[in-house]
Amino acid sequence: MPVLDPDIAGQLAEDLPREDFLRIIRTFQTDLARLTQELVGAAQRGDIRAFQQAAHSLAGASAAVGATRLEAAARLGMAGAQPPSPALAAQIGTEAEAALAALAALTA
Amino acid sequence: MSAPPRILLVEDTPAQAELAKALLRDAGVEIRHAETAGQALADALAHPPDAILLDLELPDFSGFELMRKLRAEGVEAAVIVVTANASVNTAVEAMRQGAVDFIVKPYAKARLTVTLTNALEKRALTQELKTVRAQLSRDRFYGFIGASAPMQAIYRTIESVAASRASVFITGESGTGKELAAEAVHKASPRAAKPFVALNCGAIPRDLLESEVFGHVKGAFTGATDNRIGAARQADGGTLFLDEIGEMPLEMQVKLLRFVQTGSFQPVGASRTEKVDVRFVCATNRDPLAEVEAGRFREDLYYRLYVVPLELPPLRARDADAVLIARALLTQASREEGKRFRGFAPEAERAILAYAWPGNVRQLQNVVRNVVVLHEGEQVTAAMLPPMLLRAAPRAPAGAAPAEAPAVAPVVVPVVVPVAAPVAVPGSMAPVAEVQLALPAPAPPVLAPPVAAPPVEAALPPPAVSVELPPPPVVVEPLAVMEKRLILAALAETAQDVSRAAALLQINPSTVYRKLQQWKAAGELL
Repeated sequence: MPVLDPDIAGQLAEDLPREDFLRIIRTFQTDLARLTQELVGAAQRGDIRAFQQAAHSLAGASAAVGATRLEAAARLGMAGAQPPSPALAAQIGTEAEAALAALAALTA
Repeated sequence: MSAPPRILLVEDTPAQAELAKALLRDAGVEIRHAETAGQALADALAHPPDAILLDLELPDFSGFELMRKLRAEGVEAAVIVVTANASVNTAVEAMRQGAVDFIVKPYAKARLTVTLTNALEKRALTQELKTVRAQLSRDRFYGFIGASAPMQAIYRTIESVAASRASVFITGESGTGKELAAEAVHKASPRAAKPFVALNCGAIPRDLLESEVFGHVKGAFTGATDNRIGAARQADGGTLFLDEIGEMPLEMQVKLLRFVQTGSFQPVGASRTEKVDVRFVCATNRDPLAEVEAGRFREDLYYRLYVVPLELPPLRARDADAVLIARALLTQASREEGKRFRGFAPEAERAILAYAWPGNVRQLQNVVRNVVVLHEGEQVTAAMLPPMLLRAAPRAPAGAAPAEAPAVAPVVVPVVVPVAAPVAVPGSMAPVAEVQLALPAPAPPVLAPPVAAPPVEAALPPPAVSVELPPPPVVVEPLAVMEKRLILAALAETAQDVSRAAALLQINPSTVYRKLQQWKAAGELL
């Protein structure tokens, strides 16, 4: 699975003026920073509800820009009543960094 | 140009919100953004949206819960659920909660705009349908009461014509509400804040009519001791209602025509013309075109005034409106008379519906008032209604002449004579003596007001006496002959009291005076 889905990211770049596209990417970066922090915090506290909410938001945000691997990881955190896994939080963090790098390359 | 559709975007993820706003930037919509369900609820109430793009997973409570709250608050926006969860269950639940569509993230621009456009179109159609349904089922309109199809058409015409400056010509039988219609045209118009001036051309002596309409200056004629403003000036900026326009003398019609054409007039005795901005509404219970053909109404004035015709239907052509009106009149009369009546018994309502009401709403008004004044109780029973209603044949089809309208029909006029104090009479506990006299009466029989009863002797027979003579044979004569005979009979019945005679005939006293003048001028009266 690629870090970015070229169809979604490419469609966005095609549909939107470059200025709008860049603003969305910047907003996504800000979202990522906040949501990964919330995920890690919820995992440390064992707060299932907060973990799932942050994972849901992260899945939606990453799906919006075509960050498919990050979206898939976030979706793992959306379901189930299992205690939040620090390993999953770490995986999400890794995928987030990869998605940001791919997006940076796309907007360069 | 109408305002752009209002969209409420409910999305807690900033990247998603930015994306949706960017995708809809050139869609011609106004977007407001709420990040929580609570914020969305408050925003929807303050700025009712046409459509809501709703994320289901929100920080405070779920999108489904928000949909329920919005519905409970009466927010009727088209809801499009937008979610990252593409399960069938979520989609089914969204539709069950009233969403019109469902979008799964991520979505392309085309998907979002097409879904939103469809939802807005559907909502616009629903709103239009609702408006039309509401208009078609109105049972009250600027003082009118009535839900029948003919009245819905009247309401729509009044609404359509109100904003225009076009003259309105109202026709209809006596008692159908011509002045009410004129007032409705005024109240629904942009002139509503300005004066509505009504003038009954038939009730004003012809010598005074010009002064009444245009005013006069001091010394213009004998008795003109001061300047006087006429109806035309009083109605400036508003509406001038000329009732019984068919009664206007021909020489006055010439002056009115000039006024209608130019908006200018000259007060009686004045040397200068004055100009006003007046909207004309006229009414007559005659056929205006027949009056033109008979030479009694100027053709040029007719065409100036007969721009938007409004023909008020008679009560017999208004389906169940008679009952609706009777209920409203009963409430009003009971309140005014301090009575306890709350409604009609079913058989009383059937009798009201079956009757042809030749005197239209005015006659119904008199009957209800009479019942309230003369009876007690919480419900009006059929027995309380005048006998003519109980004997009424089924209504003629709409447009046909009322069954009892011809004056030749003998009608029992109940004269109710209250006894000063209850008298113990064997076989009767009734404190009211009721005497029914069979008289040939004009179309709408009027119940005579209570009059003081003569002293009652204990030896008199029981007070409830009902004498109804068989109807005399009907001799068909020209209407003018019958009209004259009836008016003279009413005058004889009332000791030449024109006001009471007119009340008996349910016509204007001015009509009686006019007829007497005509007959005198023609040498038909001594």
